[in-house]
Amino acid sequence: MAGISIAGISKGYGPQHARMMALKHLDLEIADGQFVTLLGPSGCGKTTTLRLIAGYVTPDTGSIHAGGRLLSSPSGVVSPEGRGMGMVFQNYAVWPHKTVYENIAFGLKLRKISGAQLRAKVEEALQLVNLGGLESRFPNELSGGQQQRVALARSLVVEPDILLLDEPLSNLDAKLRERMRSELKQLQRRTGVTFIYVTHDQAEALALSDQIAVMHGGELQQYGSPFDVYTRPANRIVADFMGLVNFVPGRIAAIEGGAARVEAETGHVMAVPVTEGLAGGTPVEIAVRPENITLAAAVDAGDAARVRERVFLGNICEYTVALPSGTALRVQTHPLQQFAEGDAVVVSIDPGQCSVFPREPAAEAKAAA
Amino acid sequence: MTDAAMGRPAATTKAISVRKPSGGGGGWQRIFTIERIVMGAAILALFVLVVFPLCFLLVGSVWSEGRFTLEYFAEALSGRLYLQALLNSLILGAWTGLFSLLLGLPMAWAVARTNVPGKGLIALTANLSYLSPPFLTAIAFVNLFGNNAGLINVFFRDVVGAPWLGFNIFSMPGLVLVTVLHTFPYVFLLASSALQSVDASYEEAAQILGAGKLRTALSITTPLVMPAILSGVLLAFVNAIALFGSQAIIGLPGRIVTLPTRIYSLFDYPAQYALASALSLLFVVITVAALYIQRAYLAKRSFVTLGGKGARPQLMDLGFWKWPLLGFCVVVFFVSIVLPYATLIAVSLSKSWGLNFWQGLTLEHYRFVLFDYDVTQRAIVNSLGLAMAAATIAVLLGAIIGWIDIRTHIPGRKFLDYAALVPLGLPGIVMAVALIQFWLSMPVALYGTLTILLLAYVGRYIPLGVRAANTSLRQIDPTLEESARILGASWARTLKEITLPLMRPGLFAGWLLVFVPVIQELSASILLFSSSSMTLAVAIYNLYETGYTEPVAALAMTNMAIIVVVIAIARRIGGGAIGRKEGDVAPQGGAA
Repeated sequence: MAGISIAGISKGYGPQHARMMALKHLDLEIADGQFVTLLGPSGCGKTTTLRLIAGYVTPDTGSIHAGGRLLSSPSGVVSPEGRGMGMVFQNYAVWPHKTVYENIAFGLKLRKISGAQLRAKVEEALQLVNLGGLESRFPNELSGGQQQRVALARSLVVEPDILLLDEPLSNLDAKLRERMRSELKQLQRRTGVTFIYVTHDQAEALALSDQIAVMHGGELQQYGSPFDVYTRPANRIVADFMGLVNFVPGRIAAIEGGAARVEAETGHVMAVPVTEGLAGGTPVEIAVRPENITLAAAVDAGDAARVRERVFLGNICEYTVALPSGTALRVQTHPLQQFAEGDAVVVSIDPGQCSVFPREPAAEAKAAA
Repeated sequence: MTDAAMGRPAATTKAISVRKPSGGGGGWQRIFTIERIVMGAAILALFVLVVFPLCFLLVGSVWSEGRFTLEYFAEALSGRLYLQALLNSLILGAWTGLFSLLLGLPMAWAVARTNVPGKGLIALTANLSYLSPPFLTAIAFVNLFGNNAGLINVFFRDVVGAPWLGFNIFSMPGLVLVTVLHTFPYVFLLASSALQSVDASYEEAAQILGAGKLRTALSITTPLVMPAILSGVLLAFVNAIALFGSQAIIGLPGRIVTLPTRIYSLFDYPAQYALASALSLLFVVITVAALYIQRAYLAKRSFVTLGGKGARPQLMDLGFWKWPLLGFCVVVFFVSIVLPYATLIAVSLSKSWGLNFWQGLTLEHYRFVLFDYDVTQRAIVNSLGLAMAAATIAVLLGAIIGWIDIRTHIPGRKFLDYAALVPLGLPGIVMAVALIQFWLSMPVALYGTLTILLLAYVGRYIPLGVRAANTSLRQIDPTLEESARILGASWARTLKEITLPLMRPGLFAGWLLVFVPVIQELSASILLFSSSSMTLAVAIYNLYETGYTEPVAALAMTNMAIIVVVIAIARRIGGGAIGRKEGDVAPQGGAA
């Protein structure tokens, strides 16, 4: 049907001798009917990828196929109007000189739909995004959230196989964003359209996606389900970008079966699942998420860790804990588990939820950050 | 008036009480603060410059021998001479508007949306055409296409033997041609900035829904930029019908009398003030109606938001077709810039203008106009002094009026804003009639002095000062001023140290925008000058009237040289970031 396969796509901007590479040899398979998110910080290449899929940009190398049909290659691209896709823009791009009805009807008229059928389809699209009764309004009479829905209805009414969304929620306030988020997800499930969604908000990506493609520096870092990407980050960049993480320096003592025995500088020794070939003796960083650390009151205050800072956030309590080794860890606990600043605590880490990455030389680590 | 009524921020009183905890001065000091004196003076100046003269124009047209009468309006609306002038003005305006569109829009589209080469040249064409004094273009074209003596006509008649190939400039088509060369930049500037500002995603959204390039252009881009384009056409119309110089130079020999030239002729002895006032008011009704449509209707329907970050339209690759488009633009450049200036230079250097003009090149005419012709030096000094003074006053006054409008809540401030915009709809000659009506009834003898010229220039170009000030004030966050006040700075000190320096680039652009039209002003000057207050434009026009073809060209080139030198110096003083501002404000006013 309308899966997309992206193979070896590169795209740079600027003159040949000083070309800024926005995208470096991207491969991505998007299955039909999925909700796929391109996630990464600004400048990571996610918007370029989306615009390549839409056909606004010609790739330098590689190809894009949709449903078996070649859409883009360096020698030519099918123009956006020939792709039968839909797109929702960051600023909505709801035409200010057309009413809500005219905005939504535009694509249908291009498909030679008219009369009662046109009205019925527009009406249906309006119901789909809960905008019934606002047909004759102009965009400047609508709120941001309503304009957003118009943009969605306008894209969906033509029943595209693929809908592209470029940070569509970033201009909404927090409450509305959350509501639109769940509506988007329901909409995708109901329509079965392939959604390709660009965002820099990892919480949004986790909440919405079937698959997340984490991008950084023009390269794909990891492509997997939200659970995989969060709990089994492929590298330090992904671990760092997805949520909060402590990086604890350590060293691999030995590889035993599928796990590595890692000695952390904090004094903890743990068996961590290892994905790639790491040999014994390799200096590593252990990625520990704050929610995978537990605190308990220390009996012997002598060489225990100490609570340096406490922030109450309502649903959780966040501590900064200084270990005897000098390392500081961020820890999240249940809000009812209360320690005071200065309290002596015992820190335990769930090794099954940790990841290890080879420790990079300082310079390299900086470049990656 | 209390502080609350003045609408000043609470910070004012707070700042004072911090400095003087024991309380402020006496009642006198509270009422006559510098702030109020300056603002009051600015408001008074606006009344003297614009409101009173307009009132006297109105009264003068309906008041005769101590009683109310409509006979002058009746005459203006029924006399064949006046109706013909009205009709000619409307015909001229309509054709000029249309051809400004036909010239300006393709050039704007080429610059804003295509990969046509030579965009610098196209923008230069529009800017130079805007800067060129329209009556100089007219004089140049007379030298080429004058019915009997125009060089090209003579060439076709005497050398080729095909007189029917010639073109008589003293005709409505000739008048339209010369006028369009000055007015098409209004369409160009407004259309190109609108086309550049349309957010690209509006067009991309149509494309992905399946609309092709043509469909997108017709149903998305065109409606979005249409208000701006129509605004440009209306501004071209308003400015076209107000140009006295070309209508006198081209129109009168061709017996095409228009409103400005008809009003001018009413000042032949015996001057018919009342009839001139009535005719002026009819003139104002036309221009104000056009501007009202532009402001009230088009400005509201303007969907183009400036400076959006997404506004990076993709340039259309025209392939082969970029060459014909460039060719079109080069032709416009040639006709509007090269042809008139090459002609003026050639005429000014030739002993006697004719088919063999290069056989006796001479600088004699320059020597004559600069040293022997006693009027020139006085005119240069007068024009330079007047233009600098008018530009400075218009901009400072504009800054204060803009400040009152944007930063205070004084009741009636909107009226001030409107009053300061009204002169946009006042053709120069109408401004002159109004000033004559006003100052002749005052006990001060201003008629024929430099002062009345200065009043005319400031009054006519105050809108440009206010526009420039408003634009730059809106970009300055009020908290920048408020933080100076809270630290204890007085209003005047805040204005001097914070507000004016921040507004400087915008005000400087405004200064140039006033200076350029003032130094070439003819429409108002022609009624207000005397031999002691002679200006450059009037000197050129008078010299032309007396038939000295070659010295006129020399004087015209001198005039252009002065304009170019002053702009160059001013840009150097004003700093580099200025030129870019010009386009923002330029399309609002005009030289007439």
